[in-house]
Amino acid sequence: MKIYKEAIHKKFELETRRHFLRKCTSGIGALALGSLLGGCGKVIDQMGQMRDAARPMKALPPHFAPKAKRIIYLHMAGSPSQLELFDYKPELQKLDGLDCPPSLLEGKRFAFIQGVPKMLGPQYSFAQHGQSGAWVSDRLPHFSKVVDDVAFLKAMHTDEFNHAPAQLLLHTGGPRLGRPSMGSWVTYGLGTENENLPGFVVLVSGGTTPSAGKSVWGSGFLPTVYQGVQCRSKGDPVLYLSDPEGMNRNLRKKSIEAINKINQETYEEFGDPETLTRISQYEMAFKMQMSVPEAMDISKEPDYIHQMYGTEPGKASFANNCLLARRLAERDVRFIQLYHWGWDSHGAGKAEALDHGFKDRCQEVDQAMTALLQDLKVRGLLDETLVVWGGEFGRTPMRENRGGQEMVFVGRDHHLEAFTIWMAGGGVKPGITYGETDEIGYYGVKDRAHVHDLQATILHLLGMDHEKLTYQFQGRPFRLTDVHGHLIKDIIS
Amino acid sequence: MIAIPKYLTRFTVSLFTMTVFSCEMQQKVDFNAEIRPIINSKCISCHGGVKKSGGFSLLFRSEALAPTESGSPAILPGEPENSELIKRIQHHDPELRMPLDASPLSDKEIRLLTQWIEQGAEWEDHWAFVSPKPVSPPEPEDLWVQNAIDPFVLDQLQDNGLQPNPKADKATLLRRVSLDLTGIPPSPEQVRHFEEDTSGNAYEKVVDRLLASPQYGERWAAMWLDLARYADSKGYEADRHRDIWRYRDWVIEAFNQDMPFDQFTIEQLAGDLLPNSTREQQIATAFHRNTMTNDEGGTDDEEFRVAAVLDRVNTTWDVWQGVTFACVQCHSHPYDPFRHKEYYQFYAFFNQTEDSDKYPDEPPFMLVYQQEEDGQRKQIQAYLDSLTRSGETTRKSQRQIARKEEELKQLKAYKLPVMKELSVENSRKTHVFDRGNWLTHGEEVWANVPGSLPSMPADAPANRLGMAQWLVSEENPLTARVTVNRFWGQLFGKGFVETQEDFGSQGFKPTHPELLDYLALHFIHEQKWSVKKLLKMMVMSATYQQSSKVRPEVLDKDPYNYLLARGPRFRLTAEQLRDQALAVSGLLSTKMYGPSVMPPQPEGIWQVVYNGSRWVTSQGEDRYRRALYTYIRRTSPYPSMITFDGPSREFCLTRRINTNTPLQALVTLNDPVYLEAAQALAKHMREKGGEQLQEKIRYGYEKVLLKSPSSKTLQTLTALYHESQQHYQDSVMQAVKQTDNPSKAFEPELAGLTVVANAMMNLDSFIMKE
Repeated sequence: MKIYKEAIHKKFELETRRHFLRKCTSGIGALALGSLLGGCGKVIDQMGQMRDAARPMKALPPHFAPKAKRIIYLHMAGSPSQLELFDYKPELQKLDGLDCPPSLLEGKRFAFIQGVPKMLGPQYSFAQHGQSGAWVSDRLPHFSKVVDDVAFLKAMHTDEFNHAPAQLLLHTGGPRLGRPSMGSWVTYGLGTENENLPGFVVLVSGGTTPSAGKSVWGSGFLPTVYQGVQCRSKGDPVLYLSDPEGMNRNLRKKSIEAINKINQETYEEFGDPETLTRISQYEMAFKMQMSVPEAMDISKEPDYIHQMYGTEPGKASFANNCLLARRLAERDVRFIQLYHWGWDSHGAGKAEALDHGFKDRCQEVDQAMTALLQDLKVRGLLDETLVVWGGEFGRTPMRENRGGQEMVFVGRDHHLEAFTIWMAGGGVKPGITYGETDEIGYYGVKDRAHVHDLQATILHLLGMDHEKLTYQFQGRPFRLTDVHGHLIKDIIS
Repeated sequence: MIAIPKYLTRFTVSLFTMTVFSCEMQQKVDFNAEIRPIINSKCISCHGGVKKSGGFSLLFRSEALAPTESGSPAILPGEPENSELIKRIQHHDPELRMPLDASPLSDKEIRLLTQWIEQGAEWEDHWAFVSPKPVSPPEPEDLWVQNAIDPFVLDQLQDNGLQPNPKADKATLLRRVSLDLTGIPPSPEQVRHFEEDTSGNAYEKVVDRLLASPQYGERWAAMWLDLARYADSKGYEADRHRDIWRYRDWVIEAFNQDMPFDQFTIEQLAGDLLPNSTREQQIATAFHRNTMTNDEGGTDDEEFRVAAVLDRVNTTWDVWQGVTFACVQCHSHPYDPFRHKEYYQFYAFFNQTEDSDKYPDEPPFMLVYQQEEDGQRKQIQAYLDSLTRSGETTRKSQRQIARKEEELKQLKAYKLPVMKELSVENSRKTHVFDRGNWLTHGEEVWANVPGSLPSMPADAPANRLGMAQWLVSEENPLTARVTVNRFWGQLFGKGFVETQEDFGSQGFKPTHPELLDYLALHFIHEQKWSVKKLLKMMVMSATYQQSSKVRPEVLDKDPYNYLLARGPRFRLTAEQLRDQALAVSGLLSTKMYGPSVMPPQPEGIWQVVYNGSRWVTSQGEDRYRRALYTYIRRTSPYPSMITFDGPSREFCLTRRINTNTPLQALVTLNDPVYLEAAQALAKHMREKGGEQLQEKIRYGYEKVLLKSPSSKTLQTLTALYHESQQHYQDSVMQAVKQTDNPSKAFEPELAGLTVVANAMMNLDSFIMKE
């Protein structure tokens, strides 16, 4: 044991020395990546990665062999009710309409529930599916056919019961604005295999961006090059991508060649390596002008694919975004993030109520997300692509009674103690259920997993140690999982 | 061989040179230079602040000498042989040897620690927490030197075997100093005038002109607004509109009037508490009303009031003290001498204001007006006052009063959120939040400043006003340094302390510590906190006026220009880029002040839940206002600003990190704002450039880059123009759409010149300050 430890020390010592020498080459200790990106040449960063200032998105080696090369994260903004989809609670049915016992309310903070609410049984019927026997409600007839490819995490929990803070906690590791999103961390840590496309792409459907706004794909204190690039289904897929009318591809090429020729002259005069970086970024922009529209054009997909996903080219829909996610995965985009708004089923209005809007949301996602899993599998991509589905928190087993009144429509309030997410592909055990809630789905009672644990596990599947993926900011190393996060080992294949 | 800045050499030697140290045995060990680096890199992560493994902490001397869990102290001053610390760092058993699970300390480090304990284990405060001491500039005899800044710089250059660059040519220098002081490039006429002025003080005259121009205030307000986290919306989910632009105008005016920085500080932090505070002083306090307000249904107002107060504490420390005080929110600082409790003592200063996350109006607020209406308001008010004073109570005068009061109501008023102190009977208690959780109250605390910094001035009240006075007191070791460093960073690309946000022991050390201290003291005592005088001194230095060309031997030795052997060359800010494009094409509006404007942005950017706000593109000259007047919505900031590293203003940002990405190229190539600028420039080229094509191109190039194109450049651009003509001949129909006036017959010349203008506005020399 001691010998082993000594060996590690020796190795460490060597590395420290190397590390220091590198710092010397760059002229200063603890070099911030910022100076590096604004600077020149090749430098080794705080984590020992060789970074090329001219190519901040260049692929970097992971910490260890990854299970997944990329991730597709399907975020259901507003948070769907686990009790109407996956977490089947027959006991809750028996309590339907009864007053909620005070023991469930003491010391709890809710967004809208006041006084004593009534318990609310599952609103839809459930059945078991596949060899795994997973419970799924009748709202997801397509998805129930692929449950054997999926791992359910049923005792997820979070710290925040309002949308914006909970979305931020899930996607940035902290409940307040200002931290880098998961996708930024991943592209910062791994770069991307295809530099002709953005490494972190965001697709939004449902008519609005998530509650926390674009911060959920922001780069926080990481350099802005790592922020998510929203690809839009209307107008330019990437802002300012298309040339102005009258300028064609050839003329654009000539104009970028002219710019770069003069910039080369400038470089010869000033000798500033930043000029070389600019030359390469203009070349990259020119390539992206071709590759992004090509990747974003679903019109040439065969009919059977459109039927499978339920897509209609030119429309802004979750289905279209699922198909785009597959196309982007094929093209080696590292982090593909989908947001679908409209799951906030309070029952305060028809559009989001469990007995109305919720049904529409289920229809909007069911076929498309199922098609995505099947399509990835057929193409041999599911093994190396991690797919995650879920909201930012769960919903209460009590019926919402806003203002202490019974409401016209049926709904549930925000709930931070228990919710379900599912994961598939990319090193996740298929056909399992991990975690369990109590008889009414109020608390996790077995194998609870916090959102920080989910983040740690996602990074692990991508080949990174969440404690080692750090960035020096305001005098201390920051990481996605803050000072928390445990690997959920039992779901890793 | 790489040159190592002076401040690093001791550290480097201590780690690497395994030669004889006998001569050092007699010398006193320098705690900050020799011991603190060892403690911070090898010990503190387990023995300090949050973690006190074995009950041993090295953060304060009192802790380090106190008994550990074993019952006896680990350090016995004067007795290294009996000190557990020395035993443990030398232990032969790796499981007992410190640092645990890491490589052992070097012989040199062990020797230093031994000597240090032998000499009494004296503690020394981190340099930044010790007041700067008066220092005279070194005196190298050199004609290069222009003012007191230069000897410091030259001294260090010579130590490293480097020489400064020659002076930049006049055109480059004028562009640099104009962009730096006003954010706008000079006109070709101004360049010519400067080039022709051969008088000895030609440059100084230019500097004085720039400092006196109204654009000066706009440029520096743009910097300050990042610190103030100024935005036109409230943040969080709904992110609704907020009328706080009047504060932005206050900042512009304050810079233009050269309000002394100490007064600038006091008015923003506590203007409302000044005796007989004026309207303007109350407007200044909106600085800390830029915190976010959560309008989301079902949120706990107290939770978000607390979040706002925490943000005020953190922002105050970020801006004035350059210390990562936010760390202490949850636990004692891991590296710097601040205790958990002290955070909440400071929090108590801010915990007594009336605001409480209410909406829609965000009280307390004051009514403010746009400039013109404000003039009318003042007039009516003066008239009413005169009537009241005269004591006339005729029916006529009463009617008059009623009419005037009605007129007053008709003026469009905006509700500006401001700070207001709670009455004494309503004052709040302040408790420590255990582990930063606002729901878990620890002991009660009262307003005070941290013990490791000088105490409050004797006559200062124990409230926000006293705290603000403390920040700008002569004894405060940080404020002047942090401020001087920030302004230097704006001109030179990085501060003396590169981590502008962290002057603590984990931040970078200053590259020119003596110069930093010299400037800080000069700023307080000689310049009396005048920012204009400070900036003038900086831009008048020979250091600043150097050419930014990089000589290969200098690039080798000092790739990041820490030693300043060349002038600054770095990318313009998001604001400067936009303003520059509009300026060189003649589109830029000089209109100042007022509510924020909405220049064109692509459709569909604003899609926010529970919020009906819409982006309504401004008309007329409001399309072409300077970037600092562009509406900023926190959850959906203006796209081209974000692409060029502008922040979303959710939190105070002390330093923007410059990036260089393909998305930036797409903005300057294709954003309609930049295309409109290129078109406008193309018209100037066609109409004023001359007869020949090359004359037109030369004219445009000089307008944009303020220098003559080389023959090669001219050739490249001419060829691009001919390419465009070839293209338009091939597709005349397409080109019709390219011009801005489709009703006219297609003008291939104008379209071609637009292509050339667009290329010129994408050149590295245009995007960079040189």
